[in-house]
Amino acid sequence: MDVLDFPLSRLCYAAHSEDALEVQRGGLPAWLGRQLEAKDANSPDLQGRLHSFRLQIKYAAGDGQPAPNGATKNWPAMDEARSLRYFEAPIGTAWALLDPKAIHPNEEYQRPWHEVAAATVIRAVHSRAQLYERMVAFWHDHFNVLATDNRQVGCALPAYDRDTIRPHALGNFRELLEAVASSPAMLVYLSNASSRAGGDNENYGRELMELHTLGRGAYLNDHYGRWRDVPGAAEGKPAGYIDEDVYEAARAFTGWTVENGQRLDGATELPRTGKFVYVEGWHDGYQKRVLSTEFAPYAAPLADGRKVLDLTAFHPATARFVCLKLCRTFVSDNPPQSLVESAAKVWQENAKKPNQIAAVMKHIALSPEFAASKGAKPKSPLALAASFARVAGIDLTPTQPLYQSLAQCGQRLFGWPTPDGRPTSAEYYLTPEYLRERWFLVARLAANAWNTGEPKTLTAQANGGMPRLADAGTYWVQRFAGPNASPGPFLAALGVDLGLPAKDPKRLAQIAGVCAAAPQFQMT
Amino acid sequence: MRLNRRNFLEGALAGSALVTLGGPLRQAAFAAEPGAQAPILVFVHMRGACDGLNLLCPSNDSSLIAARPAELRVADSGDKAGHSVPSEATPKIDWRLHSAAPELAGLYKAKTLAFVHAAGIPEPNRSHFVANDIMDRGAAGSGALGHAGNGWLARYLGQAKRADGRLPAISASGSLAGEFAGFSSAFAVGDLANGLPLPFDEKAAGAVEALYRQAQGAAGTAGVRALEAAKLIAARLPRDAGGKFVPYAEQKEAYDKAGDIGRGLRTVARLIKADTGLEMASVDCGGWDTHEGQPGRFQGNVQRLSSALGAFWNDISAYHGRVTVVAYSEFGRRLRANKSAGTDHGRGGVMIAMGAGVKGGRILGPWPGLEEAALEERVDLAVKTDYRQVLSELLEYHSGQPLNAAVFPGYKAPAHLGIFA
Repeated sequence: MDVLDFPLSRLCYAAHSEDALEVQRGGLPAWLGRQLEAKDANSPDLQGRLHSFRLQIKYAAGDGQPAPNGATKNWPAMDEARSLRYFEAPIGTAWALLDPKAIHPNEEYQRPWHEVAAATVIRAVHSRAQLYERMVAFWHDHFNVLATDNRQVGCALPAYDRDTIRPHALGNFRELLEAVASSPAMLVYLSNASSRAGGDNENYGRELMELHTLGRGAYLNDHYGRWRDVPGAAEGKPAGYIDEDVYEAARAFTGWTVENGQRLDGATELPRTGKFVYVEGWHDGYQKRVLSTEFAPYAAPLADGRKVLDLTAFHPATARFVCLKLCRTFVSDNPPQSLVESAAKVWQENAKKPNQIAAVMKHIALSPEFAASKGAKPKSPLALAASFARVAGIDLTPTQPLYQSLAQCGQRLFGWPTPDGRPTSAEYYLTPEYLRERWFLVARLAANAWNTGEPKTLTAQANGGMPRLADAGTYWVQRFAGPNASPGPFLAALGVDLGLPAKDPKRLAQIAGVCAAAPQFQMT
Repeated sequence: MRLNRRNFLEGALAGSALVTLGGPLRQAAFAAEPGAQAPILVFVHMRGACDGLNLLCPSNDSSLIAARPAELRVADSGDKAGHSVPSEATPKIDWRLHSAAPELAGLYKAKTLAFVHAAGIPEPNRSHFVANDIMDRGAAGSGALGHAGNGWLARYLGQAKRADGRLPAISASGSLAGEFAGFSSAFAVGDLANGLPLPFDEKAAGAVEALYRQAQGAAGTAGVRALEAAKLIAARLPRDAGGKFVPYAEQKEAYDKAGDIGRGLRTVARLIKADTGLEMASVDCGGWDTHEGQPGRFQGNVQRLSSALGAFWNDISAYHGRVTVVAYSEFGRRLRANKSAGTDHGRGGVMIAMGAGVKGGRILGPWPGLEEAALEERVDLAVKTDYRQVLSELLEYHSGQPLNAAVFPGYKAPAHLGIFA
């Protein structure tokens, strides 16, 4: 078992050599069992890396001009490597940037979510809880928010990642769903924070059903205006939802908002903390009907919204929809129906258990359908970078050009513009455009062109680890294109003078970079 | 060189020495051989559901005034007054184009640009993602999504044979637009501002290509095509003395400021000039899902849309006889505003047609009005023109013959609106 081999390549960003050993010795089930407990998610080594990491911040001095809010753009020029502070601080720390009387350079406003992006890259390479990190990414995509949608979302991103997604990434979906519904990031991104009784905002209610839970396959809008005709409605178990369910769900979530100084009445205002709050006065308290279920008027605070979360989280369409998405992400772009169904069954059986999601992932990863899916999925650009970094001995220090390259490969971190989240399919990632950018990505990492870290393995090869270029070339061809690849013709086509000693690290980096363009290395 | 109706007429008007056959020569699809003056169609997707009522606004409509605060309508006076775009068909309506769209207003007045209002998909579907898929497939509703696997332009383009080494269809973005899905000669081409470089030299490119030719599956195919497209485009883009691609300088400021649509249209312009055989291009213009804070966001979106289209039109002035742009969105937005200074998902929207063949300066399609009885489900601007009507007329105009029924299966266009002539 090699760190680049399936199934590790499928379930990790970049498996460590210890992972390969564990699977080789104890088998996949044992390794998976440990991964699903995610005990190493906050290991001292990883925390040490995050704490000692310094992320560059750079901007010009303020021009001394007044901003529209009356504050003066007065700040000194900045160019420093600064430690991460928002990623562990309560949301109020980042939210303080949004003081309406203050003005800061853009880079300071972006800093909270830039820290999350940096931590994401560091964890992708260095966390031992690899499957956990992949699940965190899965839920970030499933419950997508756009960090640059506005400054509030960006400032809420550290809390979203840390307090909303991470605690539940292998936990219980119903709990995760409520954590998302009450998260400042989602409340702002899908406009529920400004939803008010009598002119409610449908954005969250719709995407809750279409994207977060039941899925578009359960949107039965040919029954618009005829909720009773939706199959199963008479028994209170409708097969799907219609626009009226969206409208009623939006009413149920009125009053779920974020403390941001809003005026409550003539005398009082909410504080500006960035925290979730329920405002009874903005809630539409009258009776409702969601998914053929009657809601009594004047329910207790938050009860209407929670009831919608129950109805959607436990709906059988949700089990199928989310399990289909898990199988699409971890098995193949068109996963076998048998697996989706058996996973949905596990999902439903564990619906109220604290480790529901882990149970489903275990089912999927140990299924024969999964075992038969080798080579079926493209790596995400971050997984490509991380796995290349692993074998080339690169730290993968997060830098702006690295983010830019990931974006040009189709993975702008926390930058997917629409609430549906980024696809993981070959159709999406393996377009000529993105593939070309992937070749750039590995070539530039090998050359350390973006200060992402020295390729220590390549340096060691140049310092006597490999006698001739032919040996190094053969090693990298077989590493990336597979042990069956015949290196001779490839290296000949490259124009490598095979007899030369392998002492030029630049030449070695070139060779390794080209080898990593191999199609086999793009897939898992 | 084969001719279609439009370039025949244009050639005749220009006095070119053409072999005339006593009338327009009809053909199954666009001419595709190198050098042919084939039409170029550009499709702009206003993703997220553009509020057509806020873009092209019946500003004196009393129902609209009652349903929305002033900042979600277009003003007819004051410093934010919209551009007056009168339409013969509805002379009593004070049509106002959003104030941030001076370029579109200018093109309308020059009769280069027309609008089709109250347009959309027939099925009442208010899901962005389903509605976009419906449009990509050229379908009437979601029922067709299960089996109609490919895009409507894929079906259209697939009818003609083409010489190798051409790029007939491109998405000017990272990933392929849905209307091209299933057309194997369609490519996604990102930002061409700095050419289309590869990270390795020709020798290495050859070595990598060999690996991809041997590989099975999606990666292998994509890699071979990536290298072929890169070679083809790279061969036709200008380079400096040192062999480096010359950065594209035309309309730089306007394109740079316009985000996705600016990048996309710049790529299209560059490919048009590189003469790579372009027939169809798809460009995204996102950000229209304005549930909240619409006035500011919408203003920015309109600005990007208008300035990018204006810049593009100036940039390709030598090709005005060949290029037609159609812009559309998956649906419009609710007549009544919400309390977030935004609007929720609606039905009828606005489509824009500009360029070659467009009988501009008009607002086309039946206008249902905004009285409660005229609204769909009493809340939304009704869809009175099927989006496929506009697309059918476009293709029929440029091909000079009735549209093959396979392009929009099951769809029969009613009488032409006469958008093109």
